[in-house]
Amino acid sequence: MQNHYIVFAFLLTFLVHNSCALWPRPASVTSANDTLLLSSSFAIHSELKTTPSDLQDAITRTKGFLKTDKLGRLVVGRGTSDIPTFKSAKSLPSLTLRLSEGSTVQSIANEAVANLSERQEGYSISIPSDGTAAIITANSTLGLLRGLTTFEQLWYMAGGQTYMIGAPMEIVDEPVYHYRGFMLDTARNFYPVADIKRSLDAMSWVKLNTFYWHVVDSQSFPLEVSEFPELSIAAAYSASDVYSENDVQDIINYAAERGIDVILELDTPGHTTAIGFSHPEHIACNLASPWSDFASEPPAGQLRLASPSTVNFTVDLMQAVSSKFRSQFFSTGGDEVNTNCYTQDSETQKELNASGLTLDEALNNFLMATHDVLRSGGKNPIVKEDMVLKHNTSLPNSTIVVVWISSDDAKAVAEKGFRIIHQPSDFFYLDCGGGGWLGDDITLNSWCDPFKTWQKIYSFDPLANLTADEASLVLGGQIPLWSEQSGPENLDSIAWPRTASAAEVFWTGGTLDDPLRNLSSALPRLHDVRYRMVQRGVNAIHLQPEFCALRPGACDLDA
Amino acid sequence: MATSATMFVKLAFLLSFLSSASALWPIPRQLSTGNITVRLASSFGIHANFAGAPSDLNDAISRTMSIIKTDQLAPLVIDRGASLIPTIQKAKQLTSLTLELSSSGGNPKTTVATSVPSISEEAVKAIGERDESYTLSVPGDGSSATIKANTTLGLLRGMTTFTQLLFTVDNMIFTSEAPVEITDSPAFPFRGFMLDTARNFFPVSDIKRTLDAMSWSKINQFHWHVTDSQSFPLQIPGFMELSQKAAYTASSVYTPSDVSDIVSYAAERGIDVLIEIDTPGHTAAISKSHPEHIACNEATPWANFANEPPAGQLRLASDATTNFTASMLAAVAKMFPSTLMSTGGDELNVNCYTQDNETQASLNASGLTLEQALSKFTVTTHAAIEKLGKTPVVWEEMVLEHNVTLANDTIAMVWISSDDVAAVAAKGFRIVHGPSDFFYLDCGGGEWVGVDIGNSWCDPFKTWQKAYSFDPFANLSEAQQSLILGGEQLLWTEQSSPSNLDPIVWPRAATSAEVFWTGATLPDGSQRNTPAGSDTALPRLHDLQFRMVARGVNAIPLQPQWCAVRPGVCDLTA
Repeated sequence: MQNHYIVFAFLLTFLVHNSCALWPRPASVTSANDTLLLSSSFAIHSELKTTPSDLQDAITRTKGFLKTDKLGRLVVGRGTSDIPTFKSAKSLPSLTLRLSEGSTVQSIANEAVANLSERQEGYSISIPSDGTAAIITANSTLGLLRGLTTFEQLWYMAGGQTYMIGAPMEIVDEPVYHYRGFMLDTARNFYPVADIKRSLDAMSWVKLNTFYWHVVDSQSFPLEVSEFPELSIAAAYSASDVYSENDVQDIINYAAERGIDVILELDTPGHTTAIGFSHPEHIACNLASPWSDFASEPPAGQLRLASPSTVNFTVDLMQAVSSKFRSQFFSTGGDEVNTNCYTQDSETQKELNASGLTLDEALNNFLMATHDVLRSGGKNPIVKEDMVLKHNTSLPNSTIVVVWISSDDAKAVAEKGFRIIHQPSDFFYLDCGGGGWLGDDITLNSWCDPFKTWQKIYSFDPLANLTADEASLVLGGQIPLWSEQSGPENLDSIAWPRTASAAEVFWTGGTLDDPLRNLSSALPRLHDVRYRMVQRGVNAIHLQPEFCALRPGACDLDA
Repeated sequence: MATSATMFVKLAFLLSFLSSASALWPIPRQLSTGNITVRLASSFGIHANFAGAPSDLNDAISRTMSIIKTDQLAPLVIDRGASLIPTIQKAKQLTSLTLELSSSGGNPKTTVATSVPSISEEAVKAIGERDESYTLSVPGDGSSATIKANTTLGLLRGMTTFTQLLFTVDNMIFTSEAPVEITDSPAFPFRGFMLDTARNFFPVSDIKRTLDAMSWSKINQFHWHVTDSQSFPLQIPGFMELSQKAAYTASSVYTPSDVSDIVSYAAERGIDVLIEIDTPGHTAAISKSHPEHIACNEATPWANFANEPPAGQLRLASDATTNFTASMLAAVAKMFPSTLMSTGGDELNVNCYTQDNETQASLNASGLTLEQALSKFTVTTHAAIEKLGKTPVVWEEMVLEHNVTLANDTIAMVWISSDDVAAVAAKGFRIVHGPSDFFYLDCGGGEWVGVDIGNSWCDPFKTWQKAYSFDPFANLSEAQQSLILGGEQLLWTEQSSPSNLDPIVWPRAATSAEVFWTGATLPDGSQRNTPAGSDTALPRLHDLQFRMVARGVNAIPLQPQWCAVRPGVCDLTA
């Protein structure tokens, strides 16, 4: 029995060893068995005519990680058994970055905020085992960045030596989906800029390319808008819990340099009570109680969508905020509009009576007005699925729809011809399973129990129930963190490494039925990402006892 | 609409008024407060009025002074106390807090100083002999505040309470509830927290930070599940091969000097360290150096031999293994001053022994059944630690599932289900509550075994509300109630490590601290374990969470901050 186990463990180690611990798994990897050492004078050279400063910075970061990751290979002995192979191994002197013939040089930041279809994240890596230089080739600096990120994940440390196993190696890679995101809610609880930057770093390590920022909500308004300074003055949690316009630019630039586009969401017309702190005239059912009659969670309050002055105010606010973001996308939200709030609001009823419009017609006018101003500013609007499934709106098919209530709803959205971002609560909500957060409530679990494990996230099929035609509407997906019970204290531990799970779903594509994309082969690679994250200062949690992390497969259910 | 908005404003006003009530956690047994504001003078100091104050009391005074300055907590109300500024500016100034020992416990300054027992000495006394009681008085006229206690341990508890009375606005440190009169002592002697350092390793600094956080809510027992099947991080003099072979890395070990560091650090904070060496199950890691002592060692499929991988249990029927275990436990017992020590005893897998040729040979030779062999093993190992002054602690299976001879003073920990308490009590054993259905901090995090998309075995997540609803005396007769020593929340670490230690533990683990300190009745006479009781708990728990974060512990927010500064407004029924 013992002998069987050892043979089994040996086999597994061998297999995993050969396929590298890259996350997300590249489209194609060809590798052999040679060990390659990283030369102590290892250098990264750019062959670009002019190397943009953000690519130069990316090179510096990569060289830093090659020195500081110091990851002992996740096998029993932590790679000490690799040391004998060092004697005959060649040293890699350098890595060359090369743009393909005919490519124009742009900064990573510019490439990262380009329209989705124009973003070129593909790259190839060639690593010879004979001691000659390795090469990353791409059509863009963004692709070179992705290649550097992959390159970093190849290296381990044992006996004081940085090395990789599997040379010579050829990697050819590009993402299956253009949109791969992480959503953060900074309104229920506030996160300092440093926490957002650390999250952007972690995102870039798994090639996520979109930070979808749910910046304000009913509980607080931490976004400084210079045209409307009263909003954050009245409704930020404190004077220091504010993202100044400088902070916002800092975040946008930091993200873009790491290949990440920042999409802002200004959720309307619901989830806007905080606006009522400075503009009570624009808010219906403002702080009404019992809150559960007027909203999905406390406090109640929604924009008076039927009032022309509120529509104008919202349009001006959208214009002011959206003009400060480089992204071509902007979300106006639109989830959980509470009808009773408007039925009970005498102002709204008066406006509807005067105009002769139904509530949905008024909502449609409100949407058209806010989306018009976004479009005229060059932004492509994004809405929550409620706006196309629950309300009778005339949104054009160029609108992008976030499916969040249930993965089952993707089909209905696709049938209406809208492009889709997957963010289903039944697969991707990081906050589920943490218990009910309302007071005087002993027994309730979170509304979207149970907890979404990395396995559950990984099992998501972006094309489930869709026809081949409808499949082309899927842009990708994103993992959200709603912050009713989160803050800087648990940001890392609740988000990582689970969020990385979705990064592979949308980079690599496919389903669990694919031989190369199964839970068993994913877990050792995900452990690897997790250990690197911790080494790089992100408190990603252990997915298993370390005993299991060092023995791939040994802690499987059927092992 | 207008009416209900007005009503809302009124309600909010009322609630913000209520929220000026004390934010103490755990709430004292007897508490009376006024509405006079007193602020700390810049010269404020804490002084013991007796000679020979032990050094750990002086250290506790220094820590208290430091916490008072660094907490900087503004009241959790909408304006964060801004409207209080004029009142605070005019308030009487408190210049000192005096610590007094009652005559039985110390010597007044006038008499010849003999040594006053240290906090550490008091903290590690036998369960039931520790005196944590104190009184705290903060007058409204600016005259000195006073903590009186029978022991330095009681003085420590009083200082912990004192720090929670204070808020900071505009750089002024104040309380707006003077005069304060508190008479306090714990309802239960055992208020614990358990950490598993074997599934994943925690450096000493993480354990110390956890001990700090425990002391802030008056938890007095650190239950250290130090080893398990996955790793053996404890260095034991005379058994160094165990950690050499089965620690995750050479640096993932607790050396004897680490242990004594942790033990002293805990004791100075009023915490006793109860070490657990889980036997005979959960011991596969011992096989790395002693394969001869382990049955079904890493056998597969593991599910046939153990509750989780890897399989492996001590060969309890072997005399050599029994002697080895007894000596090893004795060596561990010598490392800890506590009068308590746990030999574990959970999740024994019978099939493991049925399939183990060695065990079957031993049983055939002795003519014993497996249960008889287990009893002999337990009697021998318990004798070894009892000889060193330890009272054995076991998991409930040793009482309920096996026919084992246990000394009457053995303490049983109930973990499988709170429903099992009555059966353990019926057998007359003293009980520590650690029920998975209320107190397991790891539940709800999903299945960690690979290639499985399922939930955790003890789903759902145990919220603070659930833990707070625990009734220590449920299903017990009045006579049986005296068997209840207290309880603890537990962190098993299959999916935890330093990365998430603070957020998965705090502030939830403070919940049982109040359940077992305050008991069934709140100081206003109402029942703690009612919806109304838990309503008064939440604002106080928010307060503790904010203080923990200020003190460097990453306790999670339980609600949006909007709710934290509006007590009651985010209730389900608000």
